[in-house]
Amino acid sequence: MSQEMRLQGGQIDRGQKISFSWNGKTMQGYQGDTLASALLANNVKLVGRSFKYHRPRGIFSAGSEEPNALVQLRKGAYQEPNTRATVAELFEGMEATSQNHKGTLAFDVLAMNDLVSPFLSAGFYYKTFMWPKAFWEKVYEPFIRSAAGLGALSGETDPDVYDKGFLHCDVLVIGSGPAGLSAALAAGRSGAQVLLCDEDNVFGGRLNAETFEVGGVSGVEWAQTAIGELEAMDNVRVMNRTTVYGAFDHGIYGALEKKTDHLRSANGKPRNIAWKIYSGRAILCAGATERSIAFGNNDRPGVMLAGSVRAYANRWGVATGKSIAVFTNNDDGWRTANDLVAAGANVAAVIDSRDGEPVMSVTGASVTMGASVSDTVGRRALKGITLTNGQTLDVDCLAVAGGWSPNVHLTCHQRGRPTWRDDIAAFVPGGDLPPGMSVAGSANGTYGTGACLAEGRAAANAAVKELGFTASRKAADKAEDEAANITAYWHVKESTKRAWVDLQNDVTTKDVKQAEQEGFRSVEHLKRYTTLGMATDQGKTANVLGLAIMAEARGKTIPETGTTIFRPPYSPVPFGALAGRAKGKNFQPYRLTPSDKWAKEQGASFVESGPWMRAEWYPKNGETFWRDSVDREVNATRGSVGICDVTTLGKIDIQGKDAAKLLNMAYANGFAKLAVGKTRYGIMLREDGICMDDGTTARLSEHHFVMTTTTVNAVAIYRHLDFIRQCLYPDWDVHIMSVTDSWAQYAVAGPNSRALLRKVVDAEFDISNEAFPFMGCADITVCGGIPARLFRISFSGELAYEIAVPSRYGDSLIRVLHEAGKEFDVVPYGLEALSVMRIEKGHVVASELTGQTTAQNLGMGRMVSKVKDCIGNTLSEREYMNRDEIWNLVGLQPVDKSLKLDGGSHFIEHGSEPTMDNDLGWMTSVAYSPTLGHYIGLGFVKAGNSRKGDVVRAWDGIRQKDVEVEIVSAHFLDPEGERLRG
Amino acid sequence: MGDFTLESKPVLDGFDHDWNGTRLRELTEMAAVAVSVPKGGATALGKKMKTGYGGGIPAAGESYVGKNDARIMSFAVDQFLVLFDHTAHSGVPAVEKKLGNTGYYVEQTNNWVFLELSGPLARNAMERICAVNTHADKFAVDRAERTSMEHMGAVLCRTGEDTFLIMSASSTAGSFLHALETSMEFVG
Repeated sequence: MSQEMRLQGGQIDRGQKISFSWNGKTMQGYQGDTLASALLANNVKLVGRSFKYHRPRGIFSAGSEEPNALVQLRKGAYQEPNTRATVAELFEGMEATSQNHKGTLAFDVLAMNDLVSPFLSAGFYYKTFMWPKAFWEKVYEPFIRSAAGLGALSGETDPDVYDKGFLHCDVLVIGSGPAGLSAALAAGRSGAQVLLCDEDNVFGGRLNAETFEVGGVSGVEWAQTAIGELEAMDNVRVMNRTTVYGAFDHGIYGALEKKTDHLRSANGKPRNIAWKIYSGRAILCAGATERSIAFGNNDRPGVMLAGSVRAYANRWGVATGKSIAVFTNNDDGWRTANDLVAAGANVAAVIDSRDGEPVMSVTGASVTMGASVSDTVGRRALKGITLTNGQTLDVDCLAVAGGWSPNVHLTCHQRGRPTWRDDIAAFVPGGDLPPGMSVAGSANGTYGTGACLAEGRAAANAAVKELGFTASRKAADKAEDEAANITAYWHVKESTKRAWVDLQNDVTTKDVKQAEQEGFRSVEHLKRYTTLGMATDQGKTANVLGLAIMAEARGKTIPETGTTIFRPPYSPVPFGALAGRAKGKNFQPYRLTPSDKWAKEQGASFVESGPWMRAEWYPKNGETFWRDSVDREVNATRGSVGICDVTTLGKIDIQGKDAAKLLNMAYANGFAKLAVGKTRYGIMLREDGICMDDGTTARLSEHHFVMTTTTVNAVAIYRHLDFIRQCLYPDWDVHIMSVTDSWAQYAVAGPNSRALLRKVVDAEFDISNEAFPFMGCADITVCGGIPARLFRISFSGELAYEIAVPSRYGDSLIRVLHEAGKEFDVVPYGLEALSVMRIEKGHVVASELTGQTTAQNLGMGRMVSKVKDCIGNTLSEREYMNRDEIWNLVGLQPVDKSLKLDGGSHFIEHGSEPTMDNDLGWMTSVAYSPTLGHYIGLGFVKAGNSRKGDVVRAWDGIRQKDVEVEIVSAHFLDPEGERLRG
Repeated sequence: MGDFTLESKPVLDGFDHDWNGTRLRELTEMAAVAVSVPKGGATALGKKMKTGYGGGIPAAGESYVGKNDARIMSFAVDQFLVLFDHTAHSGVPAVEKKLGNTGYYVEQTNNWVFLELSGPLARNAMERICAVNTHADKFAVDRAERTSMEHMGAVLCRTGEDTFLIMSASSTAGSFLHALETSMEFVG
C-alpha cells in the first residue's frame, strides 16, 4: 500500500515520511498524521473487533471520542492496550496491533458470538446463565471473563516513568478552538495569568478540520497567529497534548499532559504528567462532539461521523473512501459533502432525512431529501447502502451527520445537570456550574465560528474583571456563522436490522427498548443494564442517542426522560500517571538517623518503624540466626556496655514561664516540682482516662524542659500539647518546638557505661553517681567543647545514660563512642535487644499502650495525681476502670521452660473452652531472655495482681498452640532497681 | 576525657550538582534559630528585633531580609525563624546577643537540611513537587512559604529571580534530595 487515499492539502508535513507497522505490515505516513489518518491513507478499513459480538469495526471518528479504533501500541513491557488510534500521533517505527480477537483480525473465531447475539442482549448475564446454579462460578463466569475485555496488559512492570505537578493561573482556558483562543487572547491581554490547555497536539480545535476564515485569513493560520501571540506573553502558558480531565473543588482541575507518547522513546523522561491546576476562573471551551444516527448495520467499517470524514480530508489530506455518501439530519452534513468535493474526493450521494430543498449543490453527488439509510452491506468494509426508498448505492464510506453534542462533561463534575435545547437538539450546560467556571463556544451550544469568537472573548473579559483585572478592549476577530439547522432524527424506524447506538459496548436500539420494557427506565439504570456509555469513550457519541431512543420508547420528551451526568475523567488517565513517581522505593519518604551510614557499615539489619529506618540487630560473622545476634547484644550490654541509637524518640522543647503548668496538665503525674537538672518518667492520659503515651521529661532550667515521647507518638503528642496550650490555656506563657531531628541521641547502657562516657564527656562535668545520680540531666560538652545533653535514664534496667549531640555530630559520636568503648568490648545493640531488655525489666511500649489500657491496667494507677488537675484524670476515676477484676499487667513465663511463648495468645483457665466468655486476657509482648535462659512475656490478666503464682493456659488459635504459663511479676530482672542506680 | 574529637558532617555530605546551568546544592554553613514571643513580651522583643535585625516581629506568613542578610520568616503565631550564615556549633548565642532575654530560643540548625536550587530550570523542577505558585508576580524575591513536597514538610523561600532556598527535615533529607534530583532529571 502506498497511501492511495491521500488527497492534496492538509496540515501534514509531506517532506517527513514516517514508517510504521500495523499488525506486522510496514506502511508509510507523514509527520502530523495520527495512526488513524495514516491507516485511512493506506486504505485500511478494518481496525478492530467489537466488544461483545466481535463485529468488524473501522475508524469512526477523528478525536478522543473514538469508540472503535482501539489498538495496542508498543511491545513487551511498554505495551499499552486500548489506545485510540485517532489521538495516537504517528512516529517513526510505531508498532501498532489490533486487539480483542482470537485468530487474525480478519478471521476472528469469537465472531461466532455474533451468531448467538439473540442470547447476548442487554443484561444477558443476569438471566442467561442462571441454570444450573453451580455452573455460574465454574463454567460461565470463567468463560465470560476470559472472553471479555478489549486489549491485554503486558503482565510486566511498566518501565515508563510518570510524574505529577502543580500549575497555577488566574484563568484556565480549556480547549483551543475559536472560543478558547479568543478567550485566552482576551484574558492574556488583561495581564492575568492564563493557562491554555488542549488535548490535541495542534492548537486550533475544529479550525484545523474546517476551511473557515477568521479575520480574513484561514482558520488554521489565524490559530497559529493567535498561539504565537499567546506564547509571546509572559503571563500566558499554552500546553498542547494536555487534557483537562476533571473539575474538582475550589477551582482545582486535573489535567493529563502526554509528554512523550508521540516519541519513539521517552529517554527516561516522564511519559505522562498528571497536573493539579489551581485556577481563579475557568472557561470551558471544549467544543462539541458529533453523534450518529442509528440504522441497520450502521457499525460496518466505513461508516463514520461526517465531521470526522471532513477532518480527515481537510487536516490530514485523506479521503476516507473512494465513493462516499453523506447521510445527514442537519446542515453541517452538507458542509462535509462540499468540503470533500473541494478536496478532490468523490461524493456519490447526499441523503438528508429532512424534507425540503437541498441545502446546497454538491458537484457530482446525487441528492435525496426526506429519505434515510436503512441498511448497509459489506462484512469487513462497507460496500453499499440501502435507502428507505429502496434505492441502493455502492459506496465504501458513509459519513453520518446526526448533530453535535456540546462537550458539557466538566460542567457536570460537581453534580451540575445539563439542560436540553430543542433548537440544536442537544444538551447544553445547566445553570449549576462548578464555582468559577463559565462556558463558551460550541461547548455552550454556540455553533457559529463568529459567535464562538465573540463568546470566548466575553467570557474571558467577565472572568478577569471578577478577578480585578482590567479587560482588554480589543474586539474579537470576525468570522461568519455557519448554518447549523437541524431536525432531530435519532434512528431509522424502517430498519429491520440491528442498529447500533453505542459502538464500543455493542448496545443496539433493541437493547435500549428492551431495557425500557424490563423496567430499567431511569437513565442511570439504562446505563448499567445495557452498559451504554461505559468504557474508554464514556458514550461521547452514544449517550444522547440512547437517551433519545429511551424517551421515544417511553413516549416522553428527552428532558422528561432525564439525562446522565458525567464524572471525571473526561478521557482515560493511566494509573501510572495517577501514581506519578510514587512507586517502589519512592512510594514514601524515609527518615534516617545520623548513625544510619555507620550502622550500614556494621552490616545492621533494618526495620521500618513508621517512616524511620532503625537497626534491629547487628549480625557478626558466624551468626546465622537473628537471635544469635540479639542474645549476644543483650548479654554484652548487661555484662559490660552496649550502645543503641534512640534518635527516633520524639523530642519536644518546651519553654516559658508556664512550661511546668503545661507539663502538669499533660502528664497524669506531677511535674511542677521537678528540680532543675532532673528527669522524670510520666504517663499521659486521653480525655477519657485511657493512657495515650509515656516518656521522660527533663528540666534544663526553671522555664525550659525537654520532653521525650515514644517514636510512634511524637507527632500526636506534639499536637496534643499544642491543643492544650493554644485552645485550653491560651493565656499561658508556654511555647513548644519539635527538636526530634536536631539531636542525635544514643543510649549507653551497662555496668561500664559511665566509664565509657567519662572518656568522651569533657572533664569539667562530673558524671559520678553522686554528682549525676539516676534521673539526672545536664547540658554538657563532649570531645572538647561540642554541646551535648546527658540524661541518666534507663530503659534496659542497667546503669545507663542517653547522650545527645547536635545531629550533624551524630555520625562522628557513634564512631567515637565505639572507639572509646573498645576496652570494654562495647557492642551496638538494635531495636530487638532493646525490646528484650525492656521486657525483662517490665517496661511498656505500644504493645501495652494500646489505646484501650489505663494507668490502672498498667500498674501505674498511683501515678495519676489526686492533688492536681490533668487531662484525663476525672474520667480515669470511673468505677468500671477501677474494679478489682480489671486487667493487670503481669509477667508470664512458661511452666516448661523449654517452650516458646507467642504474642497474641489468650489466657484461659485449665479445663475451660477458649471462648470470649472465658477469656482472661492476652499476651502483649514476648521475648527469649538470654539473661534468664527461657522465654518470658508481658500480658494483661483479669485481676492479675492477685493471681501471681497461678498457672493458666496461653492459647493461640492461629498457631494452634496451648502452653501452660505461670503468672509472675512483670519485673523479671532487678525489681529493686539496684543496677540502674549503681 | 580521652583524646577524641567530633567532626561535623552535613546531612547530605555537602551535595552539589549542576544540570546544564541549574544547580542544586546543600548549604552547609547556615544556622536557624526559632524565636518564640513571650506572653506580654512582644513590645520588648519587637524593639530588639528592630535594632538587631532592622524589622519587627513578623506575623504568621510574613518574611523579610534583615540586617546582615539574616532571613526572618514566620509560619506560626508568636514564633519565627532567624536564618543566617554561621559556622559555630550553635546559632542561639548569636541571636541571643542581639535579642537578649526578650525571647525564647530553640536551636533549629540541625533540625533542617538547607538546599539551594538556582538556575533557569529551577521553577520547572519546583512545579513538579511543590504546590506553591512560584510565578514572580505571586511569589516575589525574599518571600517564604511553609508547604509540603512529596509528603515532606518544607519551607520554600525565593532568594533570587531563579533561586530558591528550600528547607526540610534533616531526617528525611535523603528522600527530599531524591525528590528534587528526580525533578531535575525529569525537567533537565
